[in-house]
Amino acid sequence: MSAKKLKCREIAEHVCAELDEGMNSAKCRAIRRHLETCPNCASYLNSLKTTVKLYRAYPAPALSARRRKALFEVIRHSGKESAESRKKSQSKCG
Amino acid sequence: MKKGATTTARISSAADDAQLIALAQAGNEQAFTVLVRRYEDVVFRFAFKVCRDRDKAEEAWQDTFVNVFRKLNQFDGKSKFSTWLYTIVTNNCLMKRRKRKLDDAIVPLELPDGFRDEPMQDSNGRPIQTIASWKETPLHSVMDTELRHTLDRAIEKLPYDYRIVFLLRDVEGNSAEETAKILHLSVPAVKSRLRRARVFLRERLNEYMTS
Repeated sequence: MSAKKLKCREIAEHVCAELDEGMNSAKCRAIRRHLETCPNCASYLNSLKTTVKLYRAYPAPALSARRRKALFEVIRHSGKESAESRKKSQSKCG
Repeated sequence: MKKGATTTARISSAADDAQLIALAQAGNEQAFTVLVRRYEDVVFRFAFKVCRDRDKAEEAWQDTFVNVFRKLNQFDGKSKFSTWLYTIVTNNCLMKRRKRKLDDAIVPLELPDGFRDEPMQDSNGRPIQTIASWKETPLHSVMDTELRHTLDRAIEKLPYDYRIVFLLRDVEGNSAEETAKILHLSVPAVKSRLRRARVFLRERLNEYMTS
């Protein structure tokens, strides 16, 4: 595909789909050439990349120590309950 | 997971997932603990980003590892352990959400302000930029309150089905195939939602990033 034939609309649709994927096809090479000469498409692609980077960098709080401790208590309790219910069903069958 | 059949041998924290899962499936509690430690932060961070609420995220986190404990024997190793974990935590987050009207909305593929099919040209034939460039934003600036609020507002408006795809694919780094498997979607459906989610978020950040 010739770079001259590509419209910005095609670039816009393609760059947001292929943001982090390999751009080695003939179409992608044409897009790269278009990006080198079109300030609008280059600016658009850059803003999409920045959007992803900002959300990747967005910090999440740390898990509370209280919740961490509680998990293993819940699991121990859950393990005991299932062991007891297994025993009960085995004694009924027996 | 078989309960009660515990072994006391020390488990190396360097053991790979498959080894830990096999031991945990045989009832080794220490192997299960190492697995939890390995993934607890990943699961919590993801749950927080989906739920946007600390308490709900902590509940979803706890429910996820209780589910893993109960269902570990059902994990057959055909997919990555992390893919299986993301499936469980996604379902737990879904159960915690309050269904909103906007979650039924289909996100359109918006074109940016200043978009033209062909760039305008000046008298010398040089293209004129009509889409504003975003200001330079170092990654540590996500700690700034104003930017964080902007990011929060944008992603909260993004319908849930699109938000999950964006987080799994772009933020957590799962492949399109893994994301499709986690959400029981086709790969083209994942790609379509991802594209719309990126454009939606970009449009909502645009004013802040160009002001």
